[in-house]
Amino acid sequence: MREDTHVTDDKTVPDYYLRAEGITKVYSNGTVALKEADLEIQCGEIIGLLGENGAGKTTFTKILSGLLPPTKGRVISPRGPVRFSSPREALEFGIGMVYQHFALVGTFTAAENVALSHDRPFNAINLAATKTKLEALMEESGLRVPLDVPVEKLAVGEQQRVEILKVLSRNVDLLILDEPTSVLTPLEVDELFTLLKRLKEEGKSIILITHKLKEVGSITDRVVVLRHGEMVGDVKTVDATTERLAQLMVGKTLDEEARAVELQEKALPQRERRPAAERSETPVLAVKNLSVRGNTGEVAVEELSFDVYGGEIFGVAGVEGNGQSELVEALTGLRVPQAGSATINGTNILGKDPREIYRLGVAHIPEDRWRLGLVLPFTLAENAILGVHRWPEFRGPFSFLRWPKINKHVRELMDRFDIQATGPSAPARSLSGGNQQKLIVGRELAKNPDIIIASQPTRGLDIGAAQYIRDLLVEMRNKGRAIMLVSADLDEVLALSDRVAIMYEGRFMTIAAPEELNREKIGMLMGGVAAGEVA
Amino acid sequence: MNLSFLTDLLRISLHAMVPITLTAVGEVVGETAGLFNIGLEGILLTSAFAGALGAEMGGPMVGLLVGMVVGATISFVFSVINTYWKGDQMITGIGINLFAMGFVAFGLIKLGSPGFHSVPVASQLAKLRTPIGSLSPMIFVAIVVPFIVYWVLKRTRVGLMLKAAGENPEAADVAGINVNRIRLLATTFGGVLAGLGGAYMSIAWFGSVTKSISAGRGFIALATVVFSGLNPLLALLGGFIFGFFQSLATWIKTLPSKPIPWQFVEMLPYIVTLLVVAGAIGRVRFPKALGQPYKRE
Amino acid sequence: MSRESVGNTSRPLDIARRTLTGLNPAIESLLAAIVGLLIGAILMWIWGYNPWKAYSAMFSGAYGDTYGWASSAARGVPLMLTALTFSICVRAGMFNIGAEGQVYVGAAAAVTVGYFTLPTGLHLIAGIVFAMLAGAAWSLGPAILKLTRGVHEVISTIMFNWIARFLVFYLVAFVLVDPVRAEKTISIPINARFPVLMRGTDLSWALFAAVAFAIIIYFVLWHTAIGYEVRAAGLNPTAARYGGIKSKRTMLLAFILGGLGAGLAGATVVMGNPPTYAIISGLPQLMNTGFDGMAVAMVGRNHPIGIIIASLFFGGLTAGGRTMQFTAGVPLEMVRVVEGVIVITMAIPELIRVFRMLRTSWNRLAGLWRRRSA
Repeated sequence: MREDTHVTDDKTVPDYYLRAEGITKVYSNGTVALKEADLEIQCGEIIGLLGENGAGKTTFTKILSGLLPPTKGRVISPRGPVRFSSPREALEFGIGMVYQHFALVGTFTAAENVALSHDRPFNAINLAATKTKLEALMEESGLRVPLDVPVEKLAVGEQQRVEILKVLSRNVDLLILDEPTSVLTPLEVDELFTLLKRLKEEGKSIILITHKLKEVGSITDRVVVLRHGEMVGDVKTVDATTERLAQLMVGKTLDEEARAVELQEKALPQRERRPAAERSETPVLAVKNLSVRGNTGEVAVEELSFDVYGGEIFGVAGVEGNGQSELVEALTGLRVPQAGSATINGTNILGKDPREIYRLGVAHIPEDRWRLGLVLPFTLAENAILGVHRWPEFRGPFSFLRWPKINKHVRELMDRFDIQATGPSAPARSLSGGNQQKLIVGRELAKNPDIIIASQPTRGLDIGAAQYIRDLLVEMRNKGRAIMLVSADLDEVLALSDRVAIMYEGRFMTIAAPEELNREKIGMLMGGVAAGEVA
Repeated sequence: MNLSFLTDLLRISLHAMVPITLTAVGEVVGETAGLFNIGLEGILLTSAFAGALGAEMGGPMVGLLVGMVVGATISFVFSVINTYWKGDQMITGIGINLFAMGFVAFGLIKLGSPGFHSVPVASQLAKLRTPIGSLSPMIFVAIVVPFIVYWVLKRTRVGLMLKAAGENPEAADVAGINVNRIRLLATTFGGVLAGLGGAYMSIAWFGSVTKSISAGRGFIALATVVFSGLNPLLALLGGFIFGFFQSLATWIKTLPSKPIPWQFVEMLPYIVTLLVVAGAIGRVRFPKALGQPYKRE
Repeated sequence: MSRESVGNTSRPLDIARRTLTGLNPAIESLLAAIVGLLIGAILMWIWGYNPWKAYSAMFSGAYGDTYGWASSAARGVPLMLTALTFSICVRAGMFNIGAEGQVYVGAAAAVTVGYFTLPTGLHLIAGIVFAMLAGAAWSLGPAILKLTRGVHEVISTIMFNWIARFLVFYLVAFVLVDPVRAEKTISIPINARFPVLMRGTDLSWALFAAVAFAIIIYFVLWHTAIGYEVRAAGLNPTAARYGGIKSKRTMLLAFILGGLGAGLAGATVVMGNPPTYAIISGLPQLMNTGFDGMAVAMVGRNHPIGIIIASLFFGGLTAGGRTMQFTAGVPLEMVRVVEGVIVITMAIPELIRVFRMLRTSWNRLAGLWRRRSA
């Protein structure tokens, strides 16, 4: 930590703990994550930091906690500006962050994990002393964890407590928590909040990143809202209503024209209303009471039932991490669900192999094109047959691949979808993101599917490519295909879908046509406030 | 079977244990931190050779020291390549083995005695008289070192840092540990021990250097590491077991009528290790990040 | 690394970049080989030899005349096969170092043809088949352990190598032993041997067997659906799963194919090497075939075509090494030193990046120059 010797000549008693001024962060690829964000943090207060996906919340707190440097702007304390070049320096200053994905060594016990981060000289650790200190801390804070069990064997809630203890044991003054309640049971959430209140009384400051509006109401003193990297709201919790907050989070409903301009900038297609009658008679995808568990055994999808018909785009909106990924994985053969049923044109698809599911008429545009959708070192041609490499038109006798045919097919794809590359034998990693996505989309559409499950299809793409893909999806819909669109981009989902479902904690809060919902209602639903509730 | 046979067997086993145990314990430290060094064979070979030369120039202690330095140097290069330069550990290790094989054989030729070079008695490490015959003092070193390493790994912060670097380098990084640096130190330390084991072979045990003096002991040490589940005390035991079976097999070779073919006796430790790894796979768990170079995001 | 617009670059640069990219792995191997030879030269010079004389002797011995080429190729044959063993598994995402043991058992299985008779061609084929099956069988152990118990293949193959070593020691000494000369096994009967290709050398038709195997592997991996699955699963198991590929199947196949290759390598040594045509006690002819094969695989960039060329190179180093020793007095062992350095150099991606950086700055300089003169 380098504190400049320049001291503020404001001689009044410092009434704040830390102040962030004009924080701007631009990533090396040009993305603007934060734009002149300001925040003043008092001692002894709990601040709720709200915002949609990509609003900049995590970036902002990473800057505060020393993991990232800001491109512009500064952070000052009453004693002068501060700058951290590592999380460790921030910790020494008094700022500690509890990440969403814990930084714990699984095979260590809680005591060992805490001892690891302590500033101890290069010799014998006294586990006994650490444990005593921890026990005292546990008494004080009310957090209880078994100290001698390897952390990986603990429940997620307990692991989180270990993380918090780890940070607390460094005597932090500012504690930042990133979506802490997403992995907790309601009981654990209560315990956490009790602890936070106690810390506040001791004079510590807390920033709580969340997208859950109810939480904000129950524990915070102040609410700060980020949208597209800008601080758009800073209100006392008592003065805020959920409607107001939702509005701030997802965009002002006030000025219709301003809204239209915004949409224009995103180049979203005009929605032509397609009469419901042109929808297929029976649903292509019928899901009943689907329950899916996530990677750590938690409930990700809870008894979901819905149908998707041919000739419609069924959108799934919601903050990421509410079960969308697990839902898609269960429907595309990448995850085995706990219970429920899902059929494509009457045939069951749960628990089946992806290839079988593709045969049944399903196309899947995956949410992570590098990890799931492409084998980057492979050529375009090799990637174009991923998943369909055993289909008779590509595979000849003795399992030999018909390369001439495949190459012709790839050239057709390149033509039709305007994929810029040097040829079918160009490695996939040499393509731009947009072209890679077009390759995937082209491959999937070439299957002539009955339903297309598209997960975050325009993520990370430039305007041109995103527009192209959206137009394609609409075209498919007009041709009578069923489309299930999962996207964290609310504008996109609303503009494209015929019906949209808002997903929260594994359930659909509602399924409705986009016209029936206004922005603030959507914001509330995304934040977990059911229709008709007053938070 | 008389007592003298048993003491002979014990004595030979103890001597055979030394290079294996030392190398294995060193590799335990390295693997705990996340680096897998398949080039141990090459290190043993080179340090045996270098140690012998050093001993001839300055006496046995100098020889052992030279061995340690050589071991440390090779391991240092290995770990620089595989931490800071993000190299491939397997390939580097194999390269080291190849290089060492050629280098030592070449060096022996330059010394004027291709394939074999005997170390003058004056340069050898004197053995101690004990009830079971003359034992090299290095045996005691080989017994004590695992205990020390065990204590360090289990009870000091260094041990925690090593384990963190091997298990979850990201968490270690967040906790302020320089992952690459600690891996470097760990592997170099492993090289020191392996170098000591190598020098022991030429100076304190065989009294000579051949171009195949290591005879696969580097790989036996790797097997011992697996057997030990990264526990230095078990590496001590494993070293003894491997050494024991080797000497048992050698003894059987001398018998006029062989009860069991000695080849099967020599096979046993490997089969046992396989069973240990396959059968008790829940118990024997290797660091999650073993073999992967660490990049920060 | 993706660029938003590919269309802006000029065509000649495009073509150059494309060829260069295609050639890049070969260039890397070449550079590593040069570095290895360079360092060998330095060592030779330090120890008082004349590197120039040594290398010219080596290269003339290896490639100077047809005799040399034949010797180089003969040395390279078993290496080609064990290199393929290693490479197939690398392509499948695994590190199989079990070729060593699989070669031993393959050779032992080949020797058993000495116990019965068959017409000439068939006898040889029987030996080959036995050897390949034995090699594949030996690879099943580590494969099954990995697939059912998750045992890392590096560890299990090391164990299996040792077990094979002692097992074959036993077989050579007691079961397959030659009743007349106890230090070797029975010899391969004449009509089961690989016919000698060039009189006076030890190059036999085993060369064709090896090259045929390499070509088959190439076709399997790059031209069949199952080979495609193996490569995909090796590069990106998650995407492979998305594509409906079962990685357990691909891993098993890779192990088996590798085992077949290593077994064949054992057969080529035993049935193709005059004058003994038997396994000698202590296995000196088979020792290190597996490990050297790995070096060949790396230099050959794990591609069958590259491996064929690399095995010729390594075979040449060994064959030429003898000439070097004879003519320039540099001990044969220097060859191993050179090989070791080459392999270590290949392990350093950063070094490769250094070379790439040089190429990029060269390109940039060229671009600047072009712009200036435009």
